[in-house]
Formats: sequence, C-alpha cells, structure tokens
Amino acid sequence: MISLTTRRASEEAHRSGARGTPRSQGCTYSAALVALMLAGCATLPEDAFRLSESALEMREIQVRTYEDVTGVQILAASSAVLQDLGYAIEEVEKELGVLSASKRADASNSAEVAGKIALDVADCVLTLFLGCDNDSYKSSKDVQDIKMTLVVLPDLNQDGVYRVRLTMQRIVWAKDGTVYEQETISDAAVYQAFFDKLSKSVFLEKEGV
Amino acid sequence: MVRILLVLTLFVFTGCAASTAAITAGGSQVELRQMQTREYETIDRRGVLRSVVATLQDLGFVIDKADFELATISATKLQKYEIRITVTVRERDGGRLAVRANARFNEKPIEDPKSYQDFFATLDKAMFLTLHKVD
Repeated sequence: MISLTTRRASEEAHRSGARGTPRSQGCTYSAALVALMLAGCATLPEDAFRLSESALEMREIQVRTYEDVTGVQILAASSAVLQDLGYAIEEVEKELGVLSASKRADASNSAEVAGKIALDVADCVLTLFLGCDNDSYKSSKDVQDIKMTLVVLPDLNQDGVYRVRLTMQRIVWAKDGTVYEQETISDAAVYQAFFDKLSKSVFLEKEGV
Repeated sequence: MVRILLVLTLFVFTGCAASTAAITAGGSQVELRQMQTREYETIDRRGVLRSVVATLQDLGFVIDKADFELATISATKLQKYEIRITVTVRERDGGRLAVRANARFNEKPIEDPKSYQDFFATLDKAMFLTLHKVD
C-alpha cells in the first residue's frame, strides 16, 4: 500500500510537472506528501477486535429464526435464494452451517453514482490545483464484488428452530482497477429484502415446489 | 512555501519510522504462539467452533471458509482497512481444546498482544453463552 501510494503520488507529481507551473508543482508535491502521511502509516484501529456499540443492533438486523424446518430444508432454501439472486456458491460446510457466495455486479446504481461523483469532486479539490480532468469521474462505470455468508444453525434452546445469520460485504472497483471503496454492508433494508425472499423460499421448500 | 515542504517531508520520514522498526523487532516463535493461543477446559469442539463463528460475526467479519473436520475458520473484515483472520482449534491433553487465532491487518501480520487479548475476551463471552446453551 505504501509503495502503491508513493507510486501514484509520484506519477501525479510527474504528470503535473510536465505541464504545470512551478507553483502548481509545489502544491502537488505537498498534496502528495499529505497523501503519503495519511495512507502510508495506516495503523490498526484499537477497537478492531472489540465489540462495537452497534454490535447488538447489527446482530438483530442480521439474524432471523425459522420454525418447523429441518437443517436440509433451510440450507436448500438459502442456496436457492442465492441462486435466484445470481450468486455463485463458494463454500458450504454443513457441520458448521456455513454457506458463502459471491457475485460481481454493476455498481452504477443512480444513487451510488451520485454519491461517488460528489466524492470525485471532493477528490479534485483535494488534489489541489491539479485540475479535474475527465478521468477524475472514473467511478461512474465500475463494478462491485459482493460477498454474502450465511450461518445456519439449530437454535440452542428450541427444537425445530433454525437461526440464520447473514453478513455481507463488498468491494467497489474503479475503472482503473483500484479499490474505490470496501465496506461491510450495514443497511437494514438490504438484509430485510434478503430475508423476505428467504421466507418465501422456505415456504416453497416445505411445500416441495 | 519551501518551509512548509520541509516540515511535511520531515513528517513523512519520522511518521513512518515505527513501521520500519517493527520489521526487525519481531518476537520469538514461542512468544507469538503464546499470544495467539488460548486453552479452554472443554472437549466440545462443535460448541467452540460455533462460538468462534459467532464471535467473528459479532466483530464484523464475514466468514470465508469453515471446515469442521480440520477445525479451521477463515474470515475477513472490510472497513476502510482489511483484516484477515484464521482460527484453528486443536485437541490438547487433559480434555482441553486450544484455540489459535492469527490475523493480518492490510499487508502486515498483527503481532500486538492487545489485539489477541481483545479477541479472546470477546470469544470467552461467546463461549460461556454457547456452552451454557444461551444464544
């Protein structure tokens, strides 16, 4: 990461050096240095292995329970939903109830693009005086890799009840192949939409459709 | 202008000094294993693995791989940074299970005992709940 940032910073400095005035060169150099300071010395956040304040809330968003189902029914229903959504199943471990899947999708949802363009503009301001050339708006046509993992286990207290916990993360790639954004998805609506589909899928599975 | 550049340059060189020192300051293999391992007085392998999975999910990790036979779980946390962790469970003499966790932060291995202490503290709680059958 350090070398990447340095390289990118020096490329930027080089590019502007070729066409810029001495003043803009100086500004670019200082911008590059600031970028190096921020990115080069990234340290592990102190709370990375501690439960965050929102941990309990996230658990509620990510967990649903299903009654009167067998282990096979709930796993089959889950993988059917993943397939409906176009995900490729990567890993199944029945003993531990782990089911993980991924897909590559278009990231140019209108709301997301709007957000990214706003960020690009901020980016242009940050790269001081460099000017925003066309490829600064590079993120409008990128792709994202989404990964979902379901953990499906029998409830410890009630027989015939299964507990499903879904977690999701994604990496958004910019057109030039760099990581634009990486995050754990925490939007409750996204999880709800998945569980709505899973409920229907469980019903269909039980009916043998 | 020149003065500002000088100050910034100095900052860059001093700011990263810690990370280069870390290259040669690695602990011994024994020390590393000790810091990454904790033993539990139980033979309930399934319960321990279940607790590990629950703990990782609570900490914001997404499980990448899980294998009951080999008792190995790998997971990734994506925030502004990336943490990859592998947790293994081994049987030890005297009816105990040893849990070993090792993690990387972006490109660097995590060798700071505090992180592992935090991880095991969270795991202890999950383990207590699972082994006493509370979800």
